[in-house]
Amino acid sequence: MGFLDGLNISGSALTAQRLRMDVVSSNLANADTTRAQMVNGKWVPYQRKMVTFSPINGSFSGYLSNELGSSSGASVGGGVQVNAIVNDTTPFKEAYDPTNPDANTQGYVQLPNVDPLKEMVDLMGAQRSYEANVTVMNAQKSMLLKALEIGK
Amino acid sequence: MFNDRLITGLQQALNRSSLNQKVIAQNIANVDTPNYKAQELTFNQTLSNALSAEKTDPRDFSFSTEDQGRIVTDNSTALQNNGNNVDIDKEMVNMAKNQLNYQAYTEAISRKLNQYNIVLGGSGA
Repeated sequence: MGFLDGLNISGSALTAQRLRMDVVSSNLANADTTRAQMVNGKWVPYQRKMVTFSPINGSFSGYLSNELGSSSGASVGGGVQVNAIVNDTTPFKEAYDPTNPDANTQGYVQLPNVDPLKEMVDLMGAQRSYEANVTVMNAQKSMLLKALEIGK
Repeated sequence: MFNDRLITGLQQALNRSSLNQKVIAQNIANVDTPNYKAQELTFNQTLSNALSAEKTDPRDFSFSTEDQGRIVTDNSTALQNNGNNVDIDKEMVNMAKNQLNYQAYTEAISRKLNQYNIVLGGSGA
């Protein structure tokens, strides 16, 4: 592993958390969108999006040197990545509003399955993770700067 | 002169500490990832062990200064509902300790090299 790889790990986490925050803002912005896409001639409301994370695993040679007991070639993994942005398949919310142009024959309007409370909690989680990773990155940078001072 | 066991031992300690920093960074980066299990670096040798092994007789065992740190994954616990067991507070504390250790090692190496400087007639600044 190069000496700057530690920064890559934290950098990948910052990117992943920022993407998660973007997904949350998209969900909140579209919390009332009843006409997201046309399916079979009918308008379907916006479906809530979610991100799935997965760790970036180390290379085979890294695992091998870890088992052999050599710490210099050991591979820790590359951080975290966003696997996919998936749709939330929970059913849409329904509200009774016969005057709405999107109401069906019984007078019910389908609204997106976005719960603002859940989104805010997710947003706070993403923010704290982001801050934690910034702290890690600062610690690594200060360690590397200290290493450059050996022998001075 | 530069094969001195102290400097070699400190070098191993620095390598280990920088690997530990990467392990901690990986854990914190994956604090939200479902089913991720925290990794940690375990040490089989301590620095004092390596330093105190003077071989006064050829039949003595020699302590190797080779670092035997291994990365192990703790699969047994699950702190959160999504199968993730990263404890952010423990990782933060480990990171602070690791950082202080790293600075201590770099300081120790610098002073040792400075000693050579004094011996060679430099001002030791």
